[in-house]
Amino acid sequence: MLVETNKGLIERNDLTVKDVIYDEDNARVVATEWFFNNELVRRDVNVNILRGLDLAGDAEKFN
Amino acid sequence: MANTAAVPKSFRVELLNGIHAFGTSVVRAGTGADTFKMALYLATATINADTTAYTGTGELAATGNYTAGGVTLTNATAPANTGGTGIVAFWTPSAAATWTALTSSGSFDCALIYNSTQSNKAVGVFTFGAQSVTAGNFTINMPTNDLTTGLIRIS
Repeated sequence: MLVETNKGLIERNDLTVKDVIYDEDNARVVATEWFFNNELVRRDVNVNILRGLDLAGDAEKFN
Repeated sequence: MANTAAVPKSFRVELLNGIHAFGTSVVRAGTGADTFKMALYLATATINADTTAYTGTGELAATGNYTAGGVTLTNATAPANTGGTGIVAFWTPSAAATWTALTSSGSFDCALIYNSTQSNKAVGVFTFGAQSVTAGNFTINMPTNDLTTGLIRIS
């Protein structure tokens, strides 16, 4: 299988892949880094928003 | 029976649907939902609660498969207030925002949702830590669309 990189298509078996997972304030980030001869040639990122924005009002106390 | 001071549950959903206009109202072109977009901003930009509308300042450069203005969000689910006591109104795009084969012009850490139908007015600012993408895909997956995690909530 070939993988698109910044150096063009490279055979998957020639690449080293590393997943980096960490949490930010309100998001979980999953980055997949692809290396060719120890050089980063592709980086994909998935940001998973854990919780949206809350426009909480003072009226809440009336409920 | 007794009376109870309250903001009606229905009001919050109606706010998200643009039913009420306490100030000078805009003239809406139709009854359809507006178009909402998401743009990405460099970590050096200043996008925050004072941001009133989409700006190209600080946005990722229009290179490496990024288009100025970002992408259109999928909006197939109307605002709701289901679940719990019905006090919380919420809305979430119905699909992830995705950029494919992207090479970012720099480190970025922010996404702005804005209403492209209404003069690009700002809706929400989201941060996620500095990222760079090289010849890859960048995806922002939306939270569960409910009263506790929905992307935009009025409680």
